[in-house]
Amino acid sequence: MSMLSSYLTLAAVLFCIGLYGVLTKRNAIIVLLSIELMLNAVNLNLIAFSKYGVQPSLAGQIFSLFTISVAAAEAAVGIAVLIVLYRGRASVNVDEFDELRG
Amino acid sequence: MDAFQTLTWEDAWYLAPEIVLSCFTILLIALDLLLPKRVNRNVIGWLTLAGLLVAGAFVVILMTAVNGPETDSASGTRVLLGGSYQLDDFGNLLKLAFLGASAFIVFSSLGTVRDEDVPIKGELYYLVLPAVLGAMVMASSADLITLFIGLELLSITSYILVAARKSSRISSEAAFKYVVTGGVASAFVLYGMSFLYGITGTTNVSLMRSVLASTSDQFEALLYVSFFLMIAGFAVKLALAPFHAWASDVYQGAPTPVAAFLAVVAKGAAFAMVYRIFANTFTSGGGLDGAVREDILLALSVLAAAAMIVGTVGALRQRNVKRLLALSGVANAGILLIPLSTLFANPMHESLVSEFIYFLVAYAFMNIGAFTVLTIVSRDSGNESLSGFSGLYHRAPWTAIAMTVLLCSLAGLPVTGGFFGKLFILFGTVQVHKYWLAAILLVTTVISYAVYFGLIRQMYMRSGSLDSGLRMTVPAAIVIGLCTLATLALGFLPMPILGWINDIFSVPVDLVMFQG
Repeated sequence: MSMLSSYLTLAAVLFCIGLYGVLTKRNAIIVLLSIELMLNAVNLNLIAFSKYGVQPSLAGQIFSLFTISVAAAEAAVGIAVLIVLYRGRASVNVDEFDELRG
Repeated sequence: MDAFQTLTWEDAWYLAPEIVLSCFTILLIALDLLLPKRVNRNVIGWLTLAGLLVAGAFVVILMTAVNGPETDSASGTRVLLGGSYQLDDFGNLLKLAFLGASAFIVFSSLGTVRDEDVPIKGELYYLVLPAVLGAMVMASSADLITLFIGLELLSITSYILVAARKSSRISSEAAFKYVVTGGVASAFVLYGMSFLYGITGTTNVSLMRSVLASTSDQFEALLYVSFFLMIAGFAVKLALAPFHAWASDVYQGAPTPVAAFLAVVAKGAAFAMVYRIFANTFTSGGGLDGAVREDILLALSVLAAAAMIVGTVGALRQRNVKRLLALSGVANAGILLIPLSTLFANPMHESLVSEFIYFLVAYAFMNIGAFTVLTIVSRDSGNESLSGFSGLYHRAPWTAIAMTVLLCSLAGLPVTGGFFGKLFILFGTVQVHKYWLAAILLVTTVISYAVYFGLIRQMYMRSGSLDSGLRMTVPAAIVIGLCTLATLALGFLPMPILGWINDIFSVPVDLVMFQG
């Protein structure tokens, strides 16, 4: 179990770094990268559980394959949206994306 | 589970609606590419509509086949693809609702969405298909992996749809905000799922239930972590307070039909997924019970209460009608969550899913109608503020009357679908002795009268700046008319409709998965 807990700790640290990055970073690309970090923390979790979990099984590995490909698709769309946004404003600073307000 | 199961023709037949949608998507992408630029893209809109209707027809055929006397299984459900997909009445009813709602939205935008607003209109139409496909997968999956794939198919397609107003600065800003909040929400949901997988060693929700029944007391702390992470992620997807801040921004930036799609289909699909996961892991006689379940259900009740209060109070000060509808959607999401929080309460509350589906359908009609009126009115006045509605009665009396009915339904006044939807949910809440939740539902409903009557006052009492008649398009007029009639029909015939849902539906058979 000690192997498992160290992997889970690493995943939790990665997840928190990712969340911190999303909430504080100004550069939109770093924000997207931070989301990837959070998703990779999940992958680490799934693979650790599938090897060292209470009931080890292959399903975790398969789940992580799906997560990786979906994360790639999400990143592609995210970057595409960011390019459209950049064309309009010539900036990737998140602080300047503030035209929507009630 | 068997090692490998090949896809049989019979399985393919049961997956017909999903296959139809994927084929139409691929064909329309190719068609959009090959058609010369001068051809009006409304062709693609009509074909999208055809695809949605064909898929809907297949759902109806399968629904009668599964419920018919000739089925061998007594439960009236079909388990497909190694237990990862299940055909049952919960899934089928929601699929019909999603397909119908999307068909209304696509139809209303034909000829209504302007070229200068959405330059590449083909995409606006055919991208609805994969989004609905994702919603349908979410409605009938029995496996965390398939549920997640459905969720992401829906989310990623909606990111693109939100950005469809390519020349508009606020549209791409809204899309970026949606990508970031949606991505973080997905990460939270997944992180929670990974713990659930770690505890049970399976991704199949029905197998999960039997494992949880024996092991849940050993992993109490991890179960709390897992479920609260998932609840946080889903609360963002459902736009429940305090995770709702993105909703008004994204709706404001998105093209209005897309905003309607997000409010109805995306939200409904996320609810379907939440009901699937929670109802399966919480089932009595297996699965979670005791303190963990009570705490999680309490958390859901608190979220529902917070959403109703924040949504209603926020809408009071709102001058932009799209943001107002977004906040009203937050409040309604809270109401839609109430039946789930009464799950497996003592005394047992059987009809909760019928109440949920009834209100979801009523919510779909009134929202699509209201968003379509907003599309037409804002097209005329050039902005989406409340003042665009002033004097609407004098310019277009029928539109104003239809909008009044839809707003009364949103407010929950008799005799409309929204009234009975709220009433049924209120009865259900009282039945399980959650009086505080019922009280909040009542108080927020009364407060919401001020919001909707503000809009109605604008339409009748104020004189508008525009004197000419409203430029209505035929598809939009038909959609507004149908939505208004459906809202009234749900109001005049609530018992037959609810009774029909109750007849074909039972929680143990249709929502909870059984591994065959």
